Amino acid sequence: MRLSKGTLKAIRIFFATAIGLVLAGPLLYLIAGSLMTPAQVTAATPQFIPSSLHFEDYVNGWNQVLQARTFLNSVIFVVFAVGLQWVLCISGGLAIAKMRFPGRIAITTMFAISLLIPVVTTVIPVFVVTNQFRMINTYPGLIIPIAAQTAFGTLLFRQYIVNMPQELFDAARMDGAGWWLILRRLVVPLARPATAAYLAISVITAWNMYLWPLLAANGPKVQVLSEIVAAIGQGDNFGYSVTQPQLYAATVITVIPVVIAFLLVQPAFVRGLTGSGVE
Amino acid sequence: MLGPSVVLFTVFVWIPIIGAFALSLFAWNLNGTPTWVGLANYHAMLHDPLVSKSVKNTLYFVAMGVVPTVFISLGLALLINFQFRGATVVRSLYLVPAAVSLAASAVIWQYIYEPRFGLLSYAFEHVGIKPPSEGFLFTPGWALPSLDVVCIWTTLPIAILLYLAALQRIPESVIEAAMLDGAGWFRRVRYVIWPGVSDMTLLVAIISLIAFTASGFDLVNILTKGQPIYGTETLIYYIYYSSVVNSEWGYAAALSALQFVIIVGILVVLAGMRRFLVRKP
Repeated sequence: MRLSKGTLKAIRIFFATAIGLVLAGPLLYLIAGSLMTPAQVTAATPQFIPSSLHFEDYVNGWNQVLQARTFLNSVIFVVFAVGLQWVLCISGGLAIAKMRFPGRIAITTMFAISLLIPVVTTVIPVFVVTNQFRMINTYPGLIIPIAAQTAFGTLLFRQYIVNMPQELFDAARMDGAGWWLILRRLVVPLARPATAAYLAISVITAWNMYLWPLLAANGPKVQVLSEIVAAIGQGDNFGYSVTQPQLYAATVITVIPVVIAFLLVQPAFVRGLTGSGVE
Repeated sequence: MLGPSVVLFTVFVWIPIIGAFALSLFAWNLNGTPTWVGLANYHAMLHDPLVSKSVKNTLYFVAMGVVPTVFISLGLALLINFQFRGATVVRSLYLVPAAVSLAASAVIWQYIYEPRFGLLSYAFEHVGIKPPSEGFLFTPGWALPSLDVVCIWTTLPIAILLYLAALQRIPESVIEAAMLDGAGWFRRVRYVIWPGVSDMTLLVAIISLIAFTASGFDLVNILTKGQPIYGTETLIYYIYYSSVVNSEWGYAAALSALQFVIIVGILVVLAGMRRFLVRKP
């Protein structure tokens, strides 16, 4: 028997939706758990639907587990690390795309080669260098070594800027504009799509980063959210009064903003990763 | 204009890379003066059973992660690559895990893997399979694949997005024919779609490789600490342990050099496979 086109499509929609629910399921399951009573979370038969909603656990999870200070640290880390890195990348990208100077190809190659070296293999030596500067457990020590990882961003912006019409730059130079003015007035406005792609990837990566903050900022004054969430995963119960749903609620609070942001920016995210269509 | 970038990049990227190789020739506890030991760290690596164990675990973890990620994500991209009412919402379900940090994923999956009240143990018993005796994360043979599942879960969405982008470049009619014609479905995917997305397969493999290398630390440090009986001891975790816990920074640098060689080796193999992947039948 041959199925009609409509039936096939209905079957396909059913499977697509079912598998989608399985993929989103683990996060939905955690959200459900965060709204349950402690007894319901540890019931012998796993529960999916909270019997009564307990939003107050979100308040407790925020106050007793995450704390405003840690949230603020994460925001500071992301804003300054990505902000500083963006300035370095877009200015560096302009320089190797449009300026003519000796060593330009060598520097471009230097960025390209380092792209192949995963950050995890260099994290220990980067820690040693940061430690030599006496910057461990300080904001600059947390932020600057990450902001310095400019290879990906510089090459992303280079590729975008290289394709901008040369006449624009020639005209600006003729009018006596310096390169910094060209960067501010010409490149930054025109490179918005590239900036969007870059920010989509960098912000999410920085927010979720764990190994580097663990090494460089493990004191309570500078630690970030991923370290707290990791401690939850390691079985730290943050004092006996904190319940399992509150720990889950704290985790959900750190995840939801990123999920929403990612769903909004995912087209830019893909453009950044493929390096194509950033135009 | 390039100045600030090059200075910072040199200090925090190139000096550490070169410095790591230099440091691997010393014994150092981070505070005192480094002592020159020549190749002793590398010599010690050869006789350290944890090195071979962690390299084997790393390769197993990466292979058991990257290969399923490639095939499952291509399959799922083919499944959702069509227009229907509510497509945006359904696709969002597929993308959600990408935004979840590895730390938060660890919390989620620990809840699911929990041996006493966890969902997965319950599901296993429900269908008549005995769940692993010490729990999914602490039973030898189960631990590493269980960690792979977590990382596959977080990596799939990016891979699906990349494959969806690649599928846009293949004419609709070609995909439709390959998908719907019942006879030889697999052959059509193999010979029509697989070559069409081969460039993207390389990118998916590289991005997955990086994701699985990173999670070899994050997930291990949070969930298993290398247990059971070093069953989840990955090289990156051993590097962390040697330096931060054991204060053997020279040895950790030598291990980093090994990690570097392995990753570059895998990248070279992938680049070589590219020729195989893009070859049209």
